[in-house]
Amino acid sequence: MNKISTDILVIGGGSTGTGVAWDAALRGFRVVLVEKRDLTHGTTGRYHGLLHSGGRYVVKDPQSAIECIEENRILRRTHTHCIEDTSGFFVVTPEDEGDYPDRFRAACAKTGIPCEEIPLKEAFRREPLLNPRISRVFEVPDGSADSFLATHATVQGARQAGAQILVYHEVVGLLTEGGEGDRRVTGARVRDAVSGEETVIEAAMTINASGAWAGQIAATAGIPVRVIPGKGVMVAVNHRLVNTVINRCKMPADGDILVPVHTVAIIGTTDERVTDPELLPIEPWEVQLMLDEGDKLVPGMSKARILRAWAGVRPLYQEGYAGDSRDATRALALLDHQQRDGVSGFLTITGGKWTTFRLMAQTTMDKACAQLGVERACRTADTPVPGTEQGYYWLGHRLHEVEEHHLQGDLVCECELVTRAMIEQAAQNNPTVTLDDLRRDVRLGMGPCQGGFCTFRAAGILAEGGEGRGARDEEEAAVPSATSEWEVAYMQSPKHNIGANGARRSNRRFDNPNLLLRDFLQERWRGLTPVLWGRQLKQERLDELIYLSVMNVDHLPPDDDTSPLTEFWQFDTTPGATAHKEGDEL
Amino acid sequence: MIDLLVLGAGLSGLVAALRAAEQGRRVKVIAKGMGAHHWNAGTIDVLGYLAGDEQPVEAPWTAMARLEDDHPYQLIERDAARAALTWFQTLTARCGLGYAGADGERNMLLPSPAGAWRPVFLAPAAQVGGAAGKDPMLIVGLEGMRDFYPHFIVRNLTAAGQPARAATLPWSVVSAARDRNSVQLAALLDEPAAQQRLLSALKLVAQPGERIGLPAILGLHRHTEVMAALQRELKCPVFEIPTLPPSVPGIRLTTALRHELERRGVRVEVGMEVIGFHAEGDAIQWVETATSARPLRHRAAAYLLATGGVLGGGFSSDPGGRFWETIFDLPLTVPQDRTQWFRPLFLDPQGQPAFRGGVSVDSSFQPVDADGRPVYANLWAAGGALAHADPILERSLEGIAIVTGVAAADAIVRERDFEGVRG
Repeated sequence: MNKISTDILVIGGGSTGTGVAWDAALRGFRVVLVEKRDLTHGTTGRYHGLLHSGGRYVVKDPQSAIECIEENRILRRTHTHCIEDTSGFFVVTPEDEGDYPDRFRAACAKTGIPCEEIPLKEAFRREPLLNPRISRVFEVPDGSADSFLATHATVQGARQAGAQILVYHEVVGLLTEGGEGDRRVTGARVRDAVSGEETVIEAAMTINASGAWAGQIAATAGIPVRVIPGKGVMVAVNHRLVNTVINRCKMPADGDILVPVHTVAIIGTTDERVTDPELLPIEPWEVQLMLDEGDKLVPGMSKARILRAWAGVRPLYQEGYAGDSRDATRALALLDHQQRDGVSGFLTITGGKWTTFRLMAQTTMDKACAQLGVERACRTADTPVPGTEQGYYWLGHRLHEVEEHHLQGDLVCECELVTRAMIEQAAQNNPTVTLDDLRRDVRLGMGPCQGGFCTFRAAGILAEGGEGRGARDEEEAAVPSATSEWEVAYMQSPKHNIGANGARRSNRRFDNPNLLLRDFLQERWRGLTPVLWGRQLKQERLDELIYLSVMNVDHLPPDDDTSPLTEFWQFDTTPGATAHKEGDEL
Repeated sequence: MIDLLVLGAGLSGLVAALRAAEQGRRVKVIAKGMGAHHWNAGTIDVLGYLAGDEQPVEAPWTAMARLEDDHPYQLIERDAARAALTWFQTLTARCGLGYAGADGERNMLLPSPAGAWRPVFLAPAAQVGGAAGKDPMLIVGLEGMRDFYPHFIVRNLTAAGQPARAATLPWSVVSAARDRNSVQLAALLDEPAAQQRLLSALKLVAQPGERIGLPAILGLHRHTEVMAALQRELKCPVFEIPTLPPSVPGIRLTTALRHELERRGVRVEVGMEVIGFHAEGDAIQWVETATSARPLRHRAAAYLLATGGVLGGGFSSDPGGRFWETIFDLPLTVPQDRTQWFRPLFLDPQGQPAFRGGVSVDSSFQPVDADGRPVYANLWAAGGALAHADPILERSLEGIAIVTGVAAADAIVRERDFEGVRG
C-alpha cells in the first residue's frame, strides 16, 4: 500500500475544499486534496452561478450578507476571469409585500452593500423583457460566476504553491488513534476509484470539506455530524433572457433568482430537505414552480425553450436544528471536533455558499493553525489565482477569439464554441475519466443540443488520440502562446489553445470511446427528461435519430459498461421511474 | 381544384405524391421544412431490430410477423409492402440514384460512423460496398474533419471481426478553407480538380486487395460520375460511410425525388406552415398556411397527413403533459401524462413511450377516432405520424415512410375511383 505523509489533508474537491487547499498551500503547508470524482462534481458544479452581493440575505441574515459583500469584493480581484460583472437588480413585483423594499434598502445601507434605486425607465431600457408591472428596482453588485473555471483556477493556484490534488480518489475511512478522551484523526485511507489501488495519507490535520457528504466522512471515525441536505432545483433556459442578475425583492423563497450564465439564463431554486445527497429526483411540480415564478420576473419565460433541469444539494448546518432547510442558516459552519467531540486533528467545514468559499477556507485554516500551534497568516485575499489578467469574463469572449483566429472549422461543440484543441488539452492535462469531466472543463455539451453533435465528435477525437488531427502550422506560428505551459486557467480560451498545438498537443488515446459516448448521452438524458416537451423534445428526437438510426451506438461492441464511474447504475426501466444505483457510495 | 394535397415533404410525403402523380392524379406538396432525410444515413431501413432483441433482424419480411398487430406494417399485405420497395428501387434508378440490397430478403450490415454494424435493407449503391465481409477495408478520413473519425470506426469494426485499417489524408486534398461541412465538401468534390487530388492521395495510401471506405462526401450533384471515376482509377472497390449530419446521401435522395416530382408537374412548396383548416361535416374543405404576405388557403379533394412525428413537427407537446397532432388535432395514442413519457435509460432497448405513440389509422390509412371510425372522410396519414411504432428504435423509419406512403397514395387513388363509380 502506498503511503503519503503531509501536513494538511483536505477531503472534497468542491469550492470549499479547493479553497482550503489553496489557502493552506499559500500558508506554506504541505497539502494533499482528495476528491472522489471530478472537481466540482458535487454541489459546486450544480449551482446557479450567482456571485452574491449579499442583498438576498440582507434582511433575513445580515451576518451572511456582510460576509457576501466582503467576499464579493475580494473574489473580483482574486478570480476576476471566472466572474462576469453583470450587476444585479432587486425588483418589486405586484406580489411582493409592502414594507420589504424599504427594509431591504435600510438593511443594505446598514451592512454596507452598495444599493441604489434606479429609475424604472433605465431598468427597462437595460432589461427590456422584465415584467412591466414591476414597480421598483434596486441595483446591487451581484455577478455571475463560473464555478467550474473558478475551482480549476483555485486548484492551479494551490498546485503552484505545492499542493497535490488527487481526483477520483475516494475516502475509505478516516484513520484514528488514541482512546476515549484522547482520540485523534491521523489522516485517511483513500482508494483510487479508477485502479482500485489504496493509499494511506497521514496528515497532521484532516479537513472534511465534503459538503453534503460530510456526515458520511465523519461517521467513519464515529463522529456524528448532521448536515441538513437542502435540495435546490434549477432550470436553464435556451436564451440569455436577461443580462443582469434579477432577484425578487422579498424574503428568499423558491424560484426568485434569474442568473445570466454564459449563453443561457438559469432560474432557481427550490429548497427541499432530502435524505440522500446522491438521490436528487426532479419532480414535475418543481420544474413547473420554477417556470411559474420565472414568468413573474420575465413574462413568457415558461414558453421559452427549456434546456435542462438539475438539482444541487446545499450542505447546510445548524447544530440541533430540525426545521425546514429553507430557514436553516446559510452561514458557514466550522466544527471543531476537538472541542465538540474530543477528537483532535480533524475539522469539518460546511454550510456557507459559493460566494464565501474563500472566507470558509480562511476560517478553517486559522483554526487549523491554532490547533497545530503555528502562526501563519492567510494570504488568499491578496493572491490572485492564475489567469486573472484576462479580466472579467464577458459573453463574447469565445466568439471573439474564434472569429479573430478563424477557428470556426475546428469547433467541436458549436453551441458552446469548444474547439478540438480545447478538448484535447483538457483531456490530456486534467484527469479525465468521462466526457462529463470535459463538460465541466470546457462546457462541452451544455448548449441547446445537449450533446447531440459534440458527444460523437469528442468520443471520436479521444479515440484517435491525436491521429487524424491535422496540422495548423500557420496559426501555430502566428499566435504566440500566452504561457510556456498549457495552463488550466486558460482552458476555456479558444485562442490560448491554438498556441498549444503541435509538439505540446495532447496525444492521449482513450481505449473506451464507446463507454465515454454512451455514458455522456446518459448523463445528458438525466437532465433532459424533466424538461422534455415542445421544441426540446423535437431536438431530443433528432439526437435519437443520430445516435440510434445513423450511429447505432446501442449496438456498439461493449467497452466496460459496468464502470462505477459512469452513469450506468442499476436502472429501473419502467417509465417515470427514477434512476438509482446499486449499493452505497460514500 | 387538385386531387391530393400532401402535407409534409419528408420521405413519406414525397413518395406518396409521386405514387399518386404516376397514377394521373393532380398533386401538390406543402411543407414547413424538409423532412428527416437531411439528417439520416440515406439508407432505407425496413426493420433492423425487434424490441428487446440484441441481435439485428436478418430477414425483415419474415420478422414483421412478430410485430404487434397494430404496427403500421401489419396494415399492409406483405406482398404489397415488398412491391412498394421494388417500386422505390425502380424509381430511384430512373433518377440516376441506384439503391441496392442483399437479395430482396435479408438485411445488409453496413458500417455506421461510429463503426457499429447498421442493419439496412436498401442502401445507395455507394454504400453497399461497405457490407460486412472478409475483404479488408481501408477507412480513409480527412485530417481535422469533425464529422468522421476513421480510427474510431476501425477500432469498432475490428473489435467486431472485420479486417480494417485507418488512414487520414490532409484536409487540403479537398478544401483550401477549414470551415466546411460534409455538404460543402461533397460540392467541392464535384470539381474534377478536387477529384484528381483525392485520387492521387488515395493511391499513396491504398494497398492491393483493400476496399476503400470514405466519408459520404463523394460528390453532391455529380455523385455517380465521382464514384465511377474513383473506382476506375483506383481499380478497387470504393464505398461511402455516412457522416454525422448534415447527410449528403439524404440530400442526394431528396434532390432526386424532387426532380422527379418536378418532371411530373408536382409542385413542392416549402416554408408553408399550416396554421388552420376548415371542415364541413366530415370533409376537410381547406387548410390555411402562413406566408409572408397573407394566409393562403389550399383546397383539395383528398389530404394526406405526412408531417411526421415529434421529429418532423407533426406532434407537439407542453409541460402540462399535453401531446397533440399539430394540424388537425387528431387523437394520439401518447399518454397524456409527462411522467409516463420516458424511461430512465436513454438507450433503453424498449425505447421511450413518448415516441411510440401517434395517429391510429384504419386499413385504408385513414386516421380514426377511439371507436375506429375515420375522423374525416377525405383525410389519410402515412409515415412517422403513425401510431404503434417507434421507427427510430426499430430502424424502420424509411421503410415505414415508403411502404405506408405508397399504401396511402394507392388507397386515396382507389377511394376517389370508388366515389366516381358510386356517382
